[in-house]
Amino acid sequence: MHASARQGMIAAAFAIGACWIPWEAQAQTPAPADASVYIIYPRDGQRIRGGFPVRFGLRNMGVTHAGDKTPNMGHHHLLVDVDETIDPNEPIPTDKQHLHFGAGQTETRLDLPPGKHTLQLVLGDADHKPFAPLLASKKITVTVLPPRTRIKPPQTSRAER
Amino acid sequence: MPGESTSHVIGSPRRLAAILAADIAGYSRLMGFDEEGTLARLKRHRREMIEPTIQEHFGRLIKTTGDGFLAMFDSPLEAVRCAIVIQQSMAARNTSLPPEQWIRYRIGVNLGDVIVDPDDVYGDGVNIAARLENMADPGGVYISGGVYEQIKNKLVCGYQSLGDEKLKNITDPVRIYRVLPDPAAVSRATHARWKRVAASLVAVLAAAGAGSYVLLSQRSAVAPEVVASQPAPATAQLQASPAPPPEPAPQATANPPGLPPPPPPLSGVLPIPIPQAAPAATAPAGNTQVAAVPPPQPFSKPAESGTSLRDCQGCPELVRLPGGSFRMGSSEDPSEAPAHLVRVTAFALGRYPVTVGEWNQCVAANACTAALEGNAAAPARNLSWADAKQFVAWLSNSTGQNYRLPSEAEWEYAARAGTTSRYWWGEKVVPKMASCKGCGGAYDPRQPAPVGSFPANPLGLHDLVGSVAQWVEDCWHPNYTGAPADGSAWTEPNCRENVLRGGSWRNDASYARSASRAYYDSGVRYPAHGFRVARSL
Repeated sequence: MHASARQGMIAAAFAIGACWIPWEAQAQTPAPADASVYIIYPRDGQRIRGGFPVRFGLRNMGVTHAGDKTPNMGHHHLLVDVDETIDPNEPIPTDKQHLHFGAGQTETRLDLPPGKHTLQLVLGDADHKPFAPLLASKKITVTVLPPRTRIKPPQTSRAER
Repeated sequence: MPGESTSHVIGSPRRLAAILAADIAGYSRLMGFDEEGTLARLKRHRREMIEPTIQEHFGRLIKTTGDGFLAMFDSPLEAVRCAIVIQQSMAARNTSLPPEQWIRYRIGVNLGDVIVDPDDVYGDGVNIAARLENMADPGGVYISGGVYEQIKNKLVCGYQSLGDEKLKNITDPVRIYRVLPDPAAVSRATHARWKRVAASLVAVLAAAGAGSYVLLSQRSAVAPEVVASQPAPATAQLQASPAPPPEPAPQATANPPGLPPPPPPLSGVLPIPIPQAAPAATAPAGNTQVAAVPPPQPFSKPAESGTSLRDCQGCPELVRLPGGSFRMGSSEDPSEAPAHLVRVTAFALGRYPVTVGEWNQCVAANACTAALEGNAAAPARNLSWADAKQFVAWLSNSTGQNYRLPSEAEWEYAARAGTTSRYWWGEKVVPKMASCKGCGGAYDPRQPAPVGSFPANPLGLHDLVGSVAQWVEDCWHPNYTGAPADGSAWTEPNCRENVLRGGSWRNDASYARSASRAYYDSGVRYPAHGFRVARSL
């Protein structure tokens, strides 16, 4: 309960000035210096047709569900085509470009429109906030190819081919 | 309960007195569950709490029955105070026990001209108190119009008028009020919030983990809104006649088998919000010596759409919505397609998202786990779908009404409020209609505005968009192919992700569109996620 004690102290500091406690008042959760988060698949620059899986990698830390304050644990957030910088003091947004994996998921499947897209993983703490130091993967680019337009011959199974 | 016989009239003094009648709801059930334990606890709290409380309020314990007691007071005010103290003390005692072991009194208070014997008291003034007690919900206090007239300006409580009731074997109808305990304490607490917050925070500092619990439980006391006293009835028609009509021998009956268990009239009041056992469990009054009440008629008149209702002090305010058809979805995003016609039946929806104050009552009742901090009028947030389900289950139990999360169709029907445009106010973003990123107007990215800070939509609903994103009952489906058309929730067994509607204040304006959909892991909390309640009518 270290985190809640800290929260309480900061809450006390703010109580005189504000009626309620902004969640950002809390300090960032520390991460081991040698921890890193990375995208296992797809590869940077890969060209993909159709939907594809994204697999999340994490080194020297553990994956847990959101809300778990165990030290050196976090959960993944996948940022799709996000250009803004990550605000270290705010919970990672949740919207169509910020996908949350608060149950501790380590892979997902994306269906993106054709074109170039960037993917980046950011590890979040119990409260969905980035760690200090920031744990974010390299921002990779994938190219989603348009669906084939030519009429394909009747599909045969792999075995028959 | 006491009968009346002519022999008592002669030589026994009459006097005006406030009569307090109390009995235990579900006594037979409790005894069936644990006879010796129940009896021991009953005797203990009678000795430790009830008898001293009556004395403190200058009352006299006339007699005890198997599961109840009768007390007499010179002052109606003291009698009602005593009743409230007893109910709150019992609620406090119950908190450490599992619900099936709760001892909960129903209390009725009446003012009447009664005949006083050394060891008993007689007259229809007593009978009315017993009838009131029989109607009261477990943990509740009902008073007659006569008592109300005496105390309305002296005891600052909420009083809910339940109208005139014809009581069994009582000639004239009696006006009945439900006491909504102690808004005075609530308003005092509100005024003193600053001090309390500071004090609680000191407590937090002093005892880190446990301290934060203290903070939350104290805060929760601030929650309920103060409801003003109901206007007084023009006449107080309750006076015991000098020669009360003969009373037939009391019938010691439970509800006749086959008679539907009377639902708790107009739901439960939550003095200290107590999760009540299922209404059915409280219905057969077991060992009470008062005749069974006929199944109560609903006190509320059939209400029109658009009107609001509130099932208890501190319950979320609801708006009655008419049934109707509408076009759900849009072609703007693949998740919103195909747009399809949905028919929704009439239901009630929270006027605002559930607030921190409302939420923390559920926490105080140990029925919700996520204790929240902050402004009581702020929308409750950082809640998972599972949390929201805890709240509606608790509210349903407390009130006896069917509270639930709205279906996604009901939510969009309410959000559109008859409109087909992108936003309920039109096609384009207009400043000051809702809070969101790029929506214009004052904007605090750190926290949502208190509920009701932005205009209501045509149905009178606030904060459907741009406040907290709101959980609905439905499981997430990536589009509407195969969606139900009857307004019901589209659920799946073992659903992992549920639907969120309305976007949050942290999202941009496209998420504030009526058709916009989102989803999130069902068991995961996020600071921008809350909910509003729906209730079947």
